[in-house]
Amino acid sequence: MTLGVAITDCSVAYDSVTALDDVSLSIEDGEFFTLVGPSGCGKTTTLRAIAGLADLDRGTVAIGGRDVTDDPPESRNAGIVFQNYALFPHMSVRENVAYGLQFRETESDLDDDARVTELLELVEVADLADRDPDQLSGGQQQRVALARALAPEPDVLLLDEPLSALDAQLRQRLRVQIRSIQEDLGITTVYVTHDQAEALAISDRVAVMRDGRLEQVDTPETVYREPATRFVAEFVGDNNVFDAVVGPAGSRATVDGVSVPLPPEYGLDSGEPVTLSVRPESITVDGSGPETNDGATLAATVDTVEFLGDAYRVHCDWQGRTVVVRTGASEPPEGDVTLRFGADDVSLL
Amino acid sequence: MDHRVDRFVLPAGAVATLATLLVVFYLPVGSVLASAITAGSRLTVDPLLTVLGDPFYTGAAHSLFVDPLGVSGGIGRWLGAGLPPVGFGLFGFTAYQALLSTVASVVVGLPGAYLLARFEFPGRRFLRSVTILPFVMPSIMVAVGFLAMFGRTGLFNDLLGLVGLGPVELTFTLEIVIMAHAFYNAPLVTRLVTAAWESVDGRRVETARTLGASPLRAFRDVIVPQLLPALGTAAVLTFVFTFMSFPIVLALGGLQLATVEVWLFDRVQNLDITEAATLGAIETALSLGLIYLYLRFEAMKLQSGGESRGLARERLVDGWRSLADPRRLGLLAYGAVVLVLFVGPLASLVIESVTTPGGQFTTEYYGFLLSQQSGSATGTVRPAQAVSNSLLFGVGALALALPMGLVVSLVATRERRGSRLAEALLTAPLAVSGIVLGLGMLQTLVFGTEILGHRLTVTGPVAIVAAHAVAGYPFVTRNVTPALGAIDDRLVDAARSLGASRARTLIDVQLPLIGAALVAGAAFAFAISIGEFDSTVLLAEGVDSATMPVALERYTGNRSLGPNLGPATAMGTLLLAVTTVSFVVIDRVGGRWEQ
Repeated sequence: MTLGVAITDCSVAYDSVTALDDVSLSIEDGEFFTLVGPSGCGKTTTLRAIAGLADLDRGTVAIGGRDVTDDPPESRNAGIVFQNYALFPHMSVRENVAYGLQFRETESDLDDDARVTELLELVEVADLADRDPDQLSGGQQQRVALARALAPEPDVLLLDEPLSALDAQLRQRLRVQIRSIQEDLGITTVYVTHDQAEALAISDRVAVMRDGRLEQVDTPETVYREPATRFVAEFVGDNNVFDAVVGPAGSRATVDGVSVPLPPEYGLDSGEPVTLSVRPESITVDGSGPETNDGATLAATVDTVEFLGDAYRVHCDWQGRTVVVRTGASEPPEGDVTLRFGADDVSLL
Repeated sequence: MDHRVDRFVLPAGAVATLATLLVVFYLPVGSVLASAITAGSRLTVDPLLTVLGDPFYTGAAHSLFVDPLGVSGGIGRWLGAGLPPVGFGLFGFTAYQALLSTVASVVVGLPGAYLLARFEFPGRRFLRSVTILPFVMPSIMVAVGFLAMFGRTGLFNDLLGLVGLGPVELTFTLEIVIMAHAFYNAPLVTRLVTAAWESVDGRRVETARTLGASPLRAFRDVIVPQLLPALGTAAVLTFVFTFMSFPIVLALGGLQLATVEVWLFDRVQNLDITEAATLGAIETALSLGLIYLYLRFEAMKLQSGGESRGLARERLVDGWRSLADPRRLGLLAYGAVVLVLFVGPLASLVIESVTTPGGQFTTEYYGFLLSQQSGSATGTVRPAQAVSNSLLFGVGALALALPMGLVVSLVATRERRGSRLAEALLTAPLAVSGIVLGLGMLQTLVFGTEILGHRLTVTGPVAIVAAHAVAGYPFVTRNVTPALGAIDDRLVDAARSLGASRARTLIDVQLPLIGAALVAGAAFAFAISIGEFDSTVLLAEGVDSATMPVALERYTGNRSLGPNLGPATAMGTLLLAVTTVSFVVIDRVGGRWEQ
């Protein structure tokens, strides 16, 4: 399989602040790849490096197997969509979408006008073709921006927080649509977001970034279930992270004097310090889950409860630290509770 | 376009702009500065000492340069004699009149800021934008307006006569010079202070009030600190402008009230170039110092972070009872002053241009403007040619100033380093008077100069166009830079990603979005060129390159005309019309994007 995008040993610094620190990434052809992380982690810089909009201090970028490191943005054939849409305010919707067609030969045998109409239909705004951007809602503008980026048949589609400016409902609807358009076109897509839920929902693979470096690159399921680092564990979902010491048998560890089971596959040495992560939905409150002999049992007190609609998120106090539990119970737990989880619920960081 | 070529489009433009400035600005100004410290090819302080040590120029302070050791003894004798009046010479007088003018401008300008920032009334927005008008008004035209208003037979004396007062003779007095300076600079004070006042976040005042401050206390603690930097900026700029003021002093004060600029002009007329250049060098050094002060004030301006909600404005007229309010009565009186000081001269200019000395309506003066002959009574400038010269030079200056200004804006918005360079480039022309630039151009370009082995000689008209472009391009940049900076970088990024080169992006995306600002900047540059007098009067050799302002000065300067300002007012009215059109373009087109 050819590579959609390959970034090798890339570093970028702005005014002595390192935005990208020796990052290497391989994105497969047709893959939906998401860069996720807190603001300032380097995800947007990575995207801009692919587009040719950020000056690399070191490293190379290849698109579709072609080295484009020294190419200016206009020669890279990358379509980009920004959070604020960046539609040209002095051009109509149609002119915006048609703008890129004058610079590139497309494989489509349609003339430019028909191609624009086709794209506007694809993103479901064909009836707005003659409007000006300032007459459109945020969601409509974003659809037009997507059509504009897709029009010249780019080799890679770059989406920089495209949904962040939209309200929650529209955001969810549009992300499904983006994903389905991407699958139909089979276009390599790099998506940047700070929203981990969005990243998990939409991607083939996810890269979690922090301080200009990659923390973990894997499928959404793996990143969620088996976070590689403490940072990933805390950033993706709200994992409970414990520092522990491996016990004599190697199959259990001790956290503040409480025995916690370890998954058998790790094979750890006794006395080794480890960091454990347990997902909130893996922990049961009181008798609501199966009672196992080899599980961990924590005696905790309920601090605060958030009602999420389909579940409660319960912040419990256990020996002075907060343990977050997600429970589908119909009534919120109160007072002193017993928290339980089994060996399979624990992952090692 | 090949991207390797594309990459050099902007640097090439920047280099061309810098080279142009080097030849038509820095070289001439440098030559003026150099002639103050050289004799032949030898470095010397003699020319400086000649000027600074001459009591005519520096008054009592001359002994500082002639006999530094005797200064303390001199002060002792002066104290012993009971502090008799001391002369401060030409420089002292120039600073003195600038100081008076600054005080007058602040006194006249501040109530205007109060009115515009704190009250709502029909025409407020119009008044606010009219404060930009003096910037584009030719000062020689304003001088003629003042003669028409405050001269012996002017409207002001007519009005005084109606109430049984007067007549007063203001022509060739310090008073009329200061009033004309206030006409120019009070709107500047108003404009800058109003802007600062409007940027005060209303919530800060409300917070101060809820914390227990009285309205007056909140004004003092919250509003005043935000107004002071703007006031300081306006005052320093006013001082610089009036220190270097030339046509107003020349036309309204004459040689009796000569300032450094007027005297410098007189020296050039008498072909005493070295003394003129030395004066110019000292003046430029002084104004550079003042400009530095101005930049310091600028930097002090408080930047209120985040969103700001302005203070609510009161209605100016809120039922009849509100008219008894002392603040509103004060503003009413202020309105009368504005009418006399600002509207009066312009109205008089227009009225005089269609009125014979006997009070009859006439179009004779406008007919004169079209005549190809130089009337014996009106100097030697042919009016029709002056009109066509002005328009021609204006177009030429525009053609040069527009690309220069645009390039500097592009550089300014690129990086922080670029913006500092641009700021330096833009501020330098502010510190150099038109006379000094004109003199420098005479010394170098017009008389001929050697550049890289080539002898460069330009004619008067070319030099005039270049001087006008230098005066005009900062206005293009000041209009275009904010508009360019307001364009979202991502629009440019999007266009580049879609396949557009740098140059195409500039043409397709950036230029259309700054079109309005560009037009406003062009209107500014054109108006500046049309009104430019200081360097033009030196560079217009003989009568063939005379422009409207130069012709205007010749007409007023000719005392044989007696009280009849007719031809001058007609040409002044024409200038006023051009200026007004420019202003309307600036306000209507440029203002649209300001909102």
